[in-house]
Amino acid sequence: MAERGGFGRGFGGRGDGEGGRGGRGRGGGRGDRRGGRRGNKSEEEKWVPVTKLGRLVKSGNITSLEQIYLHSLPVKEHQIVDALTKDLKDEVMKITPVQKQTRAGQRTRFKAFVVVGDGNGHVGLGVKCAKEVATAIRGAIILAKLSVIPVRRGYWGNKIGLPHTVPCKVTGKCGSVTVRMVPAPRGAGIVAARVPKKVLQFAGIEDVFTSSRGSTKTLGNFVKATFDCLMKTYGFLTPDFWMETRFSNSPYQQYTDLLSKQATKAILPPTEEIPPVEV
Amino acid sequence: MDSDLAKNLRSVTISPLEDEEEEEEELHIEEAEEDEEEDEEDSVQLGFVEKPKNPRLLLSHLFPSKAGGLPAWLDPVNLPPDNSRLCGFCGDPLQFLLQIYASIDGKESTFHRTLYVFMCPSMACLLRDQHEQWRHKEGSPSRSVKVFRCQLARSNPYYSSEPPKLDGTDRPLCTGVPLCCWCGTWKGGKLCGSCKKTRYCSEKHQAMHWKSGHKSECHKLIASDSPIVNNGNGVQDLTVFKNGLNNATWPEYEIVIEEESGFEWEKSEGNSSSTGTSAIVTKYNKTDEALQSVMDQFEADADKKSWASFEERISRAPEQVLRYCRDATAKPLWPLCSGRPSKTEIPPCRYCKGPLCYEFQIMPQLLYYFGVKNDSNSLDWGTIAVFTCLASCESSISYKEEFAWVQIYPATSIRPGRLTM
Repeated sequence: MAERGGFGRGFGGRGDGEGGRGGRGRGGGRGDRRGGRRGNKSEEEKWVPVTKLGRLVKSGNITSLEQIYLHSLPVKEHQIVDALTKDLKDEVMKITPVQKQTRAGQRTRFKAFVVVGDGNGHVGLGVKCAKEVATAIRGAIILAKLSVIPVRRGYWGNKIGLPHTVPCKVTGKCGSVTVRMVPAPRGAGIVAARVPKKVLQFAGIEDVFTSSRGSTKTLGNFVKATFDCLMKTYGFLTPDFWMETRFSNSPYQQYTDLLSKQATKAILPPTEEIPPVEV
Repeated sequence: MDSDLAKNLRSVTISPLEDEEEEEEELHIEEAEEDEEEDEEDSVQLGFVEKPKNPRLLLSHLFPSKAGGLPAWLDPVNLPPDNSRLCGFCGDPLQFLLQIYASIDGKESTFHRTLYVFMCPSMACLLRDQHEQWRHKEGSPSRSVKVFRCQLARSNPYYSSEPPKLDGTDRPLCTGVPLCCWCGTWKGGKLCGSCKKTRYCSEKHQAMHWKSGHKSECHKLIASDSPIVNNGNGVQDLTVFKNGLNNATWPEYEIVIEEESGFEWEKSEGNSSSTGTSAIVTKYNKTDEALQSVMDQFEADADKKSWASFEERISRAPEQVLRYCRDATAKPLWPLCSGRPSKTEIPPCRYCKGPLCYEFQIMPQLLYYFGVKNDSNSLDWGTIAVFTCLASCESSISYKEEFAWVQIYPATSIRPGRLTM
């Protein structure tokens, strides 16, 4: 018995066999952690947030993605985006195998390219490389969710119905590729090349004319230029933004002010205190 | 839709080279990248927090592993001294974070071994602590995160040599030193000057207790006869701490241990229907170089990659709060690429001058369970990795200090050349 250390359950090598089983005797609830995870609880209920923003979202203090965009807070957990958007669809655009030469032959991995969007003003793009196709797709979806951006839509002419096109002529540039998006009347559809068309569909833009320049063969720059263009839709100053902005506190600050206000009322005037005596 | 696709693609295979009629065309050869999936997985034990069924089961003679609440001191007499119980920056006494019971087989002196982690609840102190942990060489730096290790042999003056029976009759062999009345954590070395009965560990706690109720009770206590008993072994009146427990301690949980390998990776299980839709998978021999450039643009950078693998690893058991692996080759699971210590940044053991090795790490899910507020001065960390003496040395000091490395999320995300929101 001198070899085994400690009583009861503790961490360390010997704890694995008996620690787990012995612990189960105290409460069967822990067994559920292993067995009953399959599909019983939804993904969101199982999520334990790891970042401060995640905690704020889980507790319900933040209700929309727009609050996060307003303060440019970095989003690190994809469950945040899941919790704040409805109907986020994803589509795998392409999976290519890539290879690396090793002494023992080639090592093949798969690169997955996924675009996500809710068709209502939010798109994201993700790329992931992994040994298995399923892993790559899953990782790419997560990365795509993390890169979701808002897209502003407007009207071509009469403001009837919902916005359907870009609000104004915007242009985005990446590398040598410039992409120009021009508002189009209803029914025009998305007039663009194959891959940016997909991105624009996911963004929720129904009609747009595009014009591109430069080496659009480099699809990387091409898609990034359209992304840049979409980002600029919210950066363009139109007359409806002429009013003075009222700045609001970031979610991290909101609650501090409240607490400090209460504290100032409750502080009692300092009374003389009896000093402690050393023992 | 996603799961169907995943199932279909699971069985996609690459046709071998011999089947190609043409000779092998040029394939896209990647530059050598670090393959994060090549690490073998160590056998890691995970800790989960649970509400204790009975708080009495978390007392020190039952050798618990717990988080929050009051520490169950292993050695109830020689508690950590004055200067090591204070935060190095604000001077407040540190707050108890968690303790784990982790004995080491093979050595007699480490039959009982507990590691305690204390932390200052102020984020400002933690940010200053970041600077301190990088420069360790100049003596013992002032930190706001402290880890103590205490070990006892099987036969010791405090506990019996038989394992506890867990039937309610276990008792410690001796009572410990009296503890502070406000925090219940540290030794109550100072007495209130007027009633001479209430004990405190520091002036700050005396001031707080005075403001929240002791002022009115003090003169009543002078008259009464009974001393307030709050000792280090837990045979104490927990109602005494009602005031303190709300402010000075985090909610109490028990830490339950499970093996990480016991958690099946949910996504990798399941049936695989073998209708391979290889329409999306392009032909093996011809790569779309244009699309390649898209992928290069959007693929994550180093920080994001390490974050992604961190998320993937914890997704097997998202409620974990602690990862334990005391292996010579074990490495902690870092959420970020930046802010990792190299071998030279980890100082030697300050008692035996031997090397330290990684033992366990605390995950940020604990903050969620503690209900830490989310304003700008509330705690937030990426992970806290604890390095302990490899030899688990003995010394005359009962609670030996070990080294903790805190990795926090950067305040601003600097992503050069990336799409920023």
